[in-house]
Amino acid sequence: MLVAALVLAAALGSERLSFFDLTEQQRSILFDIRLPRVFLGACVGASLAVAGAALQSLLRNPLAEPYLLGVSNGAALGTMLAFVFFTGFEFARPVFAFAGAVIATVVVYRMAKSRAGMNVERLVLSGVIVTTFLSSIIVLLTSLLDAAKLRSFTFWLLGDLSQATKSGFYLTLAVVVIGTIVLSSQARALNLMMIGERDAFDFGVEVNRVRIVVFGAAAALVGTAVAASGSVGYVGLIVPHLVRLAVGSDNRLVVPFSALAGATFVVLADTAARTLIAPRELPVGAITALIGAPLFIYLLRKN
Amino acid sequence: MLVAFLALIVAGCRSEEKKAASASESVPESMRTVTDDLGREVKIPQKIDRAVSLAPNLTEDVFAVGAGDRLVGVTTYCDYPEAAKKIQKVGDTLNPNIETIVALKPQIVLVSTASQLEAFSKILADNGIAVYITNPKSLDDIFKDLAQLGDIFGTQDTAAKVVGDLTDRVATITRAAAGKMPVRVFVQISKEPLFTIGKQAFVTEIVKRARGESVTANIETAYPNLSKETALALAPDVIILSDSPDNQEPNDAFKDSPAVKNARVFRVNADLLSRPGPRLVDALEQIARDLDAATRK
Repeated sequence: MLVAALVLAAALGSERLSFFDLTEQQRSILFDIRLPRVFLGACVGASLAVAGAALQSLLRNPLAEPYLLGVSNGAALGTMLAFVFFTGFEFARPVFAFAGAVIATVVVYRMAKSRAGMNVERLVLSGVIVTTFLSSIIVLLTSLLDAAKLRSFTFWLLGDLSQATKSGFYLTLAVVVIGTIVLSSQARALNLMMIGERDAFDFGVEVNRVRIVVFGAAAALVGTAVAASGSVGYVGLIVPHLVRLAVGSDNRLVVPFSALAGATFVVLADTAARTLIAPRELPVGAITALIGAPLFIYLLRKN
Repeated sequence: MLVAFLALIVAGCRSEEKKAASASESVPESMRTVTDDLGREVKIPQKIDRAVSLAPNLTEDVFAVGAGDRLVGVTTYCDYPEAAKKIQKVGDTLNPNIETIVALKPQIVLVSTASQLEAFSKILADNGIAVYITNPKSLDDIFKDLAQLGDIFGTQDTAAKVVGDLTDRVATITRAAAGKMPVRVFVQISKEPLFTIGKQAFVTEIVKRARGESVTANIETAYPNLSKETALALAPDVIILSDSPDNQEPNDAFKDSPAVKNARVFRVNADLLSRPGPRLVDALEQIARDLDAATRK
């Protein structure tokens, strides 16, 4: 399915191309512009979906996703600072985004941890609070800073894959491959934790270690995805749900299949963003939210 | 707490007084009616001494028709001419501070449709302040605005002279451009994300008058976010960059275009390209010069 989506995405765009008889200009369109963007979209989708799947299992909360837990907004604020202070360095963005994601995650984690141990409701609440707090800082900075400097940032904030570069793609690819492998390796432990943390502990799962590994991997995945494409919403939320409907709730299947399904979803959404009003473009985040929100309501009612 | 509460009440009374005062001032014996660009009939006093401009192009217009000294409030964007910088700021075009404006007791507030805020106009109207809305989409509209502003401020002679001069300068360019081969031009407003000018942008007309042909002239909307694939395929002969810090070079999609290969990339002050006011003619002259230079290269 992912392969079909990739072929479709490569075939469609604001300029018509036939794969068999390419002029030099058309080769350039295909290889320099369209394909880097399609592959970056696939990596971003996979990152967000895998992070969402792992967090949902870890927290035993179907609503858990990078946005709800403050991870995305931490990454967004980090990227914004990179935008403002390190305009020249391409690698400042993912580094700052990762740092922001990690800091947000650590803060949320500490807030949620009380003497009595970790409580899931507390965690989600902390996530919501940190998310809104970070949003308000982003809004504050946006109003304070020079509009010209932030034009590309505000666009990026809506979820925008048009600024795809090859180096950005390689980094995101590396992180998504490693992240998916790491999270898949925790799948058995996550399965046990879905039953309950006590039971997992009784089965010999090192609960704290699993938490740190999963949070760390999710922060890295979300950080690079957000640095590359901004806030592409709903992917981490609905994709794992759809995957569970199809393959059941065993994380050994859910994690890798979420990667594939997330990639497919974002690639298709971005193809729509590129072609619906061509030669103009829509931000891909608008499309994923437009599909994601009603789909989520449908899933909610069905269960 | 109680003190704060009392202070609030006093402040409330003051603003009530103010409202009453401005309302009584705004119904003098002799009012006149002017029609703005949206066709609204606006009642204003015979003589305008206090005006607020909510857009940089309108501030430039008012100074051009010789009424700059009657502006009591402008936006933070209004930085031309030099004298405009010293006028009280009332916020920016999108977020004007209504309290500051009302406190300045203007007789008229000049608004560009880009900044048009309905609720905002209503509050001003309730305070007896006239709102005059402009909506220039072409050079002719700008000339009409200048003449209208001359009428409003009673400086018809200066306005007529300014419009006459500008019309002559435009005619000189148009005459020189007549019969020459048009040049395929891409105007880059922002590098990332890639924004350009479309059908409804007034710069499209400027490019055309300067013997250019905007390669994005057929795209709907004024400032489209353009697909890089299309940008690459357009392969323009000349690129004009709107000169701002984040727009100093052509987008990577143009790296093989004739414009970049032949070093035909020009910069034009972003303020000249973004403000439909008298200095748009400066932009026209500069683009015409650039396009002539490009064809000689």
